[in-house]
Amino acid sequence: MADDKWGVAHVHASFNNTIMTVTDLTGAETIAKSSGGTAVKQNRDEASPYAAMQMAESIAEEVKAAGITGLHVRVRGPGGNLQKSPGPGAQATIRALARSGIEIGRIEDVTPIPHDGSRAPKGKGGF
Amino acid sequence: MSERSVSRAKQEKRWYTVFAPEQFDREELGETPADEPEQVYNRTIETTLGELTNNASENNTKLTFQVSDVGSDAAYTEFKSHSLSRDYLRSLVRRGASKIEAYVTVLTTDDYRLQIQPVAFTTKKADASQEKAIRKQMVQMVEDAAAERTFEEVIDSIVEGRLSSAIYGECKTIYPLRRVEIQKTTLEAHPEEIAEEEATSVSVDEDDVAVDS
Repeated sequence: MADDKWGVAHVHASFNNTIMTVTDLTGAETIAKSSGGTAVKQNRDEASPYAAMQMAESIAEEVKAAGITGLHVRVRGPGGNLQKSPGPGAQATIRALARSGIEIGRIEDVTPIPHDGSRAPKGKGGF
Repeated sequence: MSERSVSRAKQEKRWYTVFAPEQFDREELGETPADEPEQVYNRTIETTLGELTNNASENNTKLTFQVSDVGSDAAYTEFKSHSLSRDYLRSLVRRGASKIEAYVTVLTTDDYRLQIQPVAFTTKKADASQEKAIRKQMVQMVEDAAAERTFEEVIDSIVEGRLSSAIYGECKTIYPLRRVEIQKTTLEAHPEEIAEEEATSVSVDEDDVAVDS
Protein backbone atom coordinates (compact mmCIF):
# COMPACT_ATOMS: atom_id res chain seq x y z
CA MET A 1 0.00 0.00 0.00
CA ALA A 2 2.68 2.45 -0.99
CA ASP A 3 1.06 5.48 -2.60
CA ASP A 4 -2.19 4.03 -3.91
CA LYS A 5 -5.21 5.62 -2.36
CA TRP A 6 -8.13 3.60 -1.08
CA GLY A 7 -11.76 4.43 -0.71
CA VAL A 8 -14.94 2.77 0.45
CA ALA A 9 -17.82 1.89 -1.84
CA HIS A 10 -21.10 1.81 0.03
CA VAL A 11 -23.62 -0.22 -1.93
CA HIS A 12 -27.22 -0.19 -0.80
CA ALA A 13 -28.92 -2.87 -2.85
CA SER A 14 -32.64 -3.20 -2.25
CA PHE A 15 -35.18 -4.92 -4.43
CA ASN A 16 -36.34 -1.60 -5.86
CA ASN A 17 -33.12 0.28 -6.37
CA THR A 18 -29.37 0.22 -5.97
CA ILE A 19 -27.59 3.20 -4.48
CA MET A 20 -23.83 3.49 -4.59
CA THR A 21 -21.74 6.04 -2.80
CA VAL A 22 -17.97 6.07 -2.95
CA THR A 23 -16.30 7.87 -0.06
CA ASP A 24 -12.85 8.21 1.38
CA LEU A 25 -11.75 5.71 4.05
CA THR A 26 -13.40 7.62 6.85
CA GLY A 27 -16.74 7.86 5.08
CA ALA A 28 -16.78 11.61 5.65
CA GLU A 29 -16.08 12.81 2.12
CA THR A 30 -18.07 11.63 -0.87
CA ILE A 31 -16.10 11.06 -4.06
CA ALA A 32 -18.78 9.69 -6.40
CA LYS A 33 -22.36 8.60 -6.13
CA SER A 34 -24.95 7.06 -8.35
CA SER A 35 -28.30 5.36 -8.15
CA GLY A 36 -30.45 3.23 -10.41
CA GLY A 37 -32.24 6.12 -12.04
CA THR A 38 -29.08 7.42 -13.66
CA ALA A 39 -28.68 4.28 -15.74
CA VAL A 40 -32.19 3.18 -16.77
CA LYS A 41 -35.50 4.79 -17.68
CA GLN A 42 -37.99 2.34 -16.23
CA ASN A 43 -38.50 2.49 -12.49
CA ARG A 44 -38.73 -1.25 -12.26
CA ASP A 45 -35.26 -1.66 -13.78
CA GLU A 46 -33.51 0.45 -11.16
CA ALA A 47 -32.58 -2.60 -9.11
CA SER A 48 -31.48 -4.69 -12.09
CA PRO A 49 -27.94 -6.03 -12.36
CA TYR A 50 -27.65 -4.27 -15.71
CA ALA A 51 -28.29 -0.87 -14.15
CA ALA A 52 -25.80 -1.70 -11.41
CA MET A 53 -23.20 -2.53 -14.03
CA GLN A 54 -23.68 0.75 -15.87
CA MET A 55 -23.51 2.68 -12.63
CA ALA A 56 -20.42 0.86 -11.45
CA GLU A 57 -18.64 1.62 -14.71
CA SER A 58 -19.35 5.33 -14.57
CA ILE A 59 -18.41 5.39 -10.90
CA ALA A 60 -15.17 3.60 -11.68
CA GLU A 61 -14.27 6.40 -14.08
CA GLU A 62 -14.93 9.09 -11.51
CA VAL A 63 -13.05 7.22 -8.83
CA LYS A 64 -10.01 6.76 -11.02
CA ALA A 65 -10.13 10.45 -11.93
CA ALA A 66 -9.98 11.23 -8.22
CA GLY A 67 -6.78 9.19 -7.98
CA ILE A 68 -8.15 6.25 -6.06
CA THR A 69 -6.99 2.81 -7.09
CA GLY A 70 -8.74 0.46 -4.70
CA LEU A 71 -12.06 0.20 -2.94
CA HIS A 72 -13.32 -1.64 0.09
CA VAL A 73 -16.92 -2.63 -0.43
CA ARG A 74 -19.66 -2.38 2.17
CA VAL A 75 -22.84 -3.96 0.90
CA ARG A 76 -26.17 -3.67 2.61
CA GLY A 77 -29.68 -4.82 1.96
CA PRO A 78 -32.75 -3.00 3.23
CA GLY A 79 -32.30 -4.55 6.68
CA GLY A 80 -34.27 -3.62 9.74
CA ASN A 81 -37.47 -5.58 9.65
CA LEU A 82 -37.20 -5.99 5.86
CA GLN A 83 -35.03 -8.43 3.90
CA LYS A 84 -31.62 -9.09 5.41
CA SER A 85 -30.02 -10.08 2.12
CA PRO A 86 -28.74 -7.55 -0.41
CA GLY A 87 -30.69 -7.18 -3.66
CA PRO A 88 -29.67 -8.20 -7.19
CA GLY A 89 -27.51 -5.13 -7.79
CA ALA A 90 -24.87 -5.97 -5.18
CA GLN A 91 -23.10 -8.82 -6.98
CA ALA A 92 -23.16 -7.02 -10.30
CA THR A 93 -21.68 -3.88 -8.76
CA ILE A 94 -18.68 -5.65 -7.29
CA ARG A 95 -18.05 -7.57 -10.51
CA ALA A 96 -18.31 -4.49 -12.66
CA LEU A 97 -16.01 -2.51 -10.37
CA ALA A 98 -13.41 -5.26 -10.44
CA ARG A 99 -13.66 -5.58 -14.22
CA SER A 100 -13.14 -1.89 -14.78
CA GLY A 101 -9.73 -2.15 -13.20
CA ILE A 102 -10.38 -1.13 -9.60
CA GLU A 103 -8.77 -3.18 -6.90
CA ILE A 104 -11.31 -4.65 -4.50
CA GLY A 105 -10.28 -4.88 -0.85
CA ARG A 106 -12.49 -6.15 1.92
CA ILE A 107 -16.08 -6.95 1.13
CA GLU A 108 -18.34 -6.62 4.12
CA ASP A 109 -22.04 -6.98 4.77
CA VAL A 110 -23.31 -4.05 6.81
CA THR A 111 -27.04 -4.71 6.64
CA PRO A 112 -28.65 -3.27 9.76
CA ILE A 113 -29.83 -6.19 11.87
CA PRO A 114 -32.28 -5.47 14.67
CA HIS A 115 -31.50 -6.80 18.14
CA ASP A 116 -35.23 -7.19 18.16
CA GLY A 117 -37.06 -4.27 16.80
CA SER A 118 -40.49 -3.64 15.43
CA ARG A 119 -42.87 -6.13 13.89
CA ALA A 120 -42.17 -7.14 10.29
CA PRO A 121 -44.56 -5.89 7.61
CA LYS A 122 -47.39 -8.23 6.76
CA GLY A 123 -46.79 -10.63 3.89
CA LYS A 124 -47.81 -9.86 0.35
CA GLY A 125 -50.20 -12.53 -0.94
CA GLY A 126 -48.78 -15.53 -2.71
CA PHE A 127 -45.52 -15.89 -0.85
CA MET B 1 -22.50 33.19 -6.38
CA SER B 2 -20.31 35.40 -4.27
CA GLU B 3 -16.66 35.82 -5.01
CA ARG B 4 -15.68 34.03 -1.86
CA SER B 5 -17.50 30.84 -2.68
CA VAL B 6 -15.98 30.76 -6.17
CA SER B 7 -12.49 30.84 -4.82
CA ARG B 8 -13.47 28.27 -2.23
CA ALA B 9 -14.71 25.92 -4.94
CA LYS B 10 -11.49 26.23 -6.90
CA GLN B 11 -9.39 25.46 -3.90
CA GLU B 12 -8.17 21.89 -3.97
CA LYS B 13 -8.91 19.71 -0.99
CA ARG B 14 -5.90 18.67 1.00
CA TRP B 15 -5.28 14.99 1.64
CA TYR B 16 -4.37 14.08 5.19
CA THR B 17 -2.56 10.86 5.91
CA VAL B 18 -4.12 9.08 8.85
CA PHE B 19 -1.86 7.26 11.29
CA ALA B 20 -2.67 4.63 13.89
CA PRO B 21 -1.93 5.32 17.58
CA GLU B 22 1.54 4.69 18.97
CA GLN B 23 0.33 1.43 20.43
CA PHE B 24 -0.10 0.10 16.90
CA ASP B 25 3.30 1.37 15.71
CA ARG B 26 1.96 4.52 14.05
CA GLU B 27 1.02 2.45 11.02
CA GLU B 28 -0.40 4.32 8.05
CA LEU B 29 -4.16 3.74 7.89
CA GLY B 30 -5.11 5.65 4.78
CA GLU B 31 -5.83 9.12 3.56
CA THR B 32 -8.76 11.48 3.86
CA PRO B 33 -9.45 14.74 2.01
CA ALA B 34 -10.74 17.92 3.63
CA ASP B 35 -11.03 21.66 2.97
CA GLU B 36 -10.17 22.65 6.51
CA PRO B 37 -8.05 20.82 9.08
CA GLU B 38 -10.85 21.18 11.65
CA GLN B 39 -13.05 18.96 9.54
CA VAL B 40 -10.72 16.04 10.02
CA TYR B 41 -11.30 15.84 13.77
CA ASN B 42 -13.57 13.07 14.99
CA ARG B 43 -13.55 11.23 11.71
CA THR B 44 -13.33 7.51 12.23
CA ILE B 45 -11.41 5.05 10.17
CA GLU B 46 -11.91 1.33 10.24
CA THR B 47 -9.26 -1.24 9.55
CA THR B 48 -8.61 -4.88 10.28
CA LEU B 49 -5.97 -6.23 12.60
CA GLY B 50 -4.46 -8.17 9.71
CA GLU B 51 -3.83 -4.97 7.83
CA LEU B 52 -2.02 -3.41 10.78
CA THR B 53 0.17 -6.40 11.47
CA ASN B 54 0.44 -7.69 7.89
CA ASN B 55 -0.98 -10.99 8.99
CA ALA B 56 -3.83 -12.08 6.74
CA SER B 57 -5.09 -14.64 9.26
CA GLU B 58 -6.21 -11.94 11.67
CA ASN B 59 -8.70 -10.27 9.39
CA ASN B 60 -11.67 -11.09 11.58
CA THR B 61 -10.91 -8.30 13.99
CA LYS B 62 -11.95 -4.82 13.04
CA LEU B 63 -10.47 -1.79 14.75
CA THR B 64 -11.93 1.68 14.58
CA PHE B 65 -9.78 4.72 15.21
CA GLN B 66 -10.90 8.28 15.70
CA VAL B 67 -8.86 11.29 14.67
CA SER B 68 -7.79 13.26 17.73
CA ASP B 69 -4.92 15.39 16.45
CA VAL B 70 -4.24 16.96 13.06
CA GLY B 71 -0.88 18.07 11.77
CA SER B 72 -0.09 19.89 8.53
CA ASP B 73 -0.81 16.90 6.34
CA ALA B 74 -1.10 14.12 8.89
CA ALA B 75 -3.87 13.11 11.24
CA TYR B 76 -3.27 11.14 14.41
CA THR B 77 -5.85 8.81 15.79
CA GLU B 78 -6.74 7.08 18.98
CA PHE B 79 -8.46 3.80 19.63
CA LYS B 80 -12.23 4.03 19.50
CA SER B 81 -13.61 0.54 19.24
CA HIS B 82 -12.79 -3.03 18.37
CA SER B 83 -15.17 -5.65 17.09
CA LEU B 84 -15.24 -9.01 15.40
CA SER B 85 -16.47 -9.11 11.84
CA ARG B 86 -20.07 -10.14 11.48
CA ASP B 87 -19.37 -13.11 9.21
CA TYR B 88 -16.81 -14.54 11.63
CA LEU B 89 -19.10 -14.19 14.62
CA ARG B 90 -21.91 -15.80 12.68
CA SER B 91 -19.66 -18.68 11.66
CA LEU B 92 -19.08 -19.53 15.33
CA VAL B 93 -22.75 -19.99 16.12
CA ARG B 94 -23.80 -23.61 15.96
CA ARG B 95 -27.11 -25.33 16.37
CA GLY B 96 -27.62 -27.09 19.68
CA ALA B 97 -24.90 -25.16 21.46
CA SER B 98 -25.08 -22.23 23.82
CA LYS B 99 -23.82 -18.74 23.21
CA ILE B 100 -23.07 -16.88 26.39
CA GLU B 101 -22.70 -13.15 26.13
CA ALA B 102 -21.90 -10.52 28.71
CA TYR B 103 -21.61 -6.76 28.69
CA VAL B 104 -19.13 -5.32 31.17
CA THR B 105 -18.36 -1.67 31.71
CA VAL B 106 -15.03 -1.23 33.43
CA LEU B 107 -12.65 1.49 34.50
CA THR B 108 -8.96 0.97 33.82
CA THR B 109 -6.21 2.04 36.20
CA ASP B 110 -5.60 5.20 34.17
CA ASP B 111 -9.29 6.14 34.24
CA TYR B 112 -10.50 5.15 30.81
CA ARG B 113 -14.01 3.74 30.78
CA LEU B 114 -14.47 0.83 28.43
CA GLN B 115 -17.32 -1.45 27.58
CA ILE B 116 -16.13 -4.96 26.92
CA GLN B 117 -18.35 -7.69 25.49
CA PRO B 118 -16.98 -11.19 25.93
CA VAL B 119 -18.78 -14.10 24.32
CA ALA B 120 -18.37 -17.84 24.90
CA PHE B 121 -19.53 -20.72 22.74
CA THR B 122 -20.07 -24.14 24.30
CA THR B 123 -19.75 -27.48 22.56
CA LYS B 124 -23.23 -28.57 23.57
CA LYS B 125 -26.29 -26.99 25.08
CA ALA B 126 -25.41 -25.84 28.59
CA ASP B 127 -27.89 -25.57 31.46
CA ALA B 128 -28.98 -22.14 32.58
CA SER B 129 -27.05 -22.55 35.82
CA GLN B 130 -23.88 -23.39 33.91
CA GLU B 131 -24.43 -20.44 31.61
CA LYS B 132 -24.83 -18.19 34.61
CA ALA B 133 -21.69 -19.57 36.21
CA ILE B 134 -19.69 -18.99 33.04
CA ARG B 135 -21.09 -15.50 32.61
CA LYS B 136 -20.26 -14.65 36.20
CA GLN B 137 -16.72 -15.92 35.76
CA MET B 138 -16.30 -13.95 32.52
CA VAL B 139 -17.53 -10.73 34.07
CA GLN B 140 -15.26 -11.27 37.07
CA MET B 141 -12.20 -11.89 34.93
CA VAL B 142 -12.84 -8.89 32.69
CA GLU B 143 -13.28 -6.67 35.72
CA ASP B 144 -10.10 -7.99 37.34
CA ALA B 145 -8.15 -7.60 34.12
CA ALA B 146 -9.23 -3.98 33.77
CA ALA B 147 -8.69 -3.14 37.42
CA GLU B 148 -4.98 -3.94 37.29
CA ARG B 149 -4.10 -2.74 33.79
CA THR B 150 -3.80 0.53 31.97
CA PHE B 151 -5.94 1.34 28.97
CA GLU B 152 -3.26 0.31 26.50
CA GLU B 153 -2.54 -2.95 28.26
CA VAL B 154 -6.23 -3.84 28.29
CA ILE B 155 -6.57 -3.14 24.56
CA ASP B 156 -3.42 -5.13 23.89
CA SER B 157 -4.61 -8.15 25.81
CA ILE B 158 -7.99 -8.01 24.06
CA VAL B 159 -6.64 -7.54 20.56
CA GLU B 160 -3.99 -10.23 20.93
CA GLY B 161 -6.54 -12.61 22.39
CA ARG B 162 -4.81 -13.10 25.74
CA LEU B 163 -7.88 -12.09 27.72
CA SER B 164 -10.18 -14.40 25.81
CA SER B 165 -7.83 -17.38 26.14
CA ALA B 166 -7.50 -16.69 29.86
CA ILE B 167 -11.29 -16.76 30.16
CA TYR B 168 -11.34 -19.95 28.10
CA GLY B 169 -8.85 -21.61 30.46
CA GLU B 170 -10.86 -20.66 33.54
CA CYS B 171 -14.34 -21.40 32.23
CA LYS B 172 -13.79 -24.70 30.46
CA THR B 173 -13.94 -26.48 33.81
CA ILE B 174 -17.51 -25.24 34.28
CA TYR B 175 -18.66 -26.56 30.92
CA PRO B 176 -16.70 -27.62 27.82
CA LEU B 177 -16.23 -24.56 25.66
CA ARG B 178 -15.50 -24.38 21.98
CA ARG B 179 -14.35 -20.83 21.79
CA VAL B 180 -14.18 -17.61 23.76
CA GLU B 181 -13.84 -14.24 22.07
CA ILE B 182 -14.13 -10.60 22.97
CA GLN B 183 -16.72 -9.61 20.43
CA LYS B 184 -16.66 -5.89 20.99
CA THR B 185 -14.87 -3.21 22.94
CA THR B 186 -15.80 0.44 22.90
CA LEU B 187 -14.16 3.41 24.49
CA GLU B 188 -16.86 5.09 26.54
CA ALA B 189 -15.05 7.94 28.26
CA HIS B 190 -11.62 9.50 28.55
CA PRO B 191 -9.92 10.28 31.85
CA GLU B 192 -10.79 13.99 31.44
CA GLU B 193 -14.47 13.22 31.00
CA ILE B 194 -14.47 10.97 34.03
CA ALA B 195 -12.72 13.60 36.12
CA GLU B 196 -15.39 16.04 35.03
CA GLU B 197 -18.15 13.65 35.98
CA GLU B 198 -16.63 13.22 39.40
CA ALA B 199 -16.26 16.95 39.86
CA THR B 200 -19.88 17.64 38.98
CA SER B 201 -21.35 14.68 40.82
CA VAL B 202 -22.67 15.39 44.27
CA SER B 203 -21.79 12.94 47.00
CA VAL B 204 -24.79 12.12 49.12
CA ASP B 205 -24.35 11.07 52.70
CA GLU B 206 -26.57 8.23 53.74
CA ASP B 207 -27.73 10.11 56.85
CA ASP B 208 -28.82 13.08 54.77
CA VAL B 209 -31.27 11.10 52.75
CA ALA B 210 -34.69 11.20 54.31
CA VAL B 211 -36.13 7.75 54.32
CA ASP B 212 -39.78 7.43 55.20
CA SER B 213 -40.07 4.59 57.60
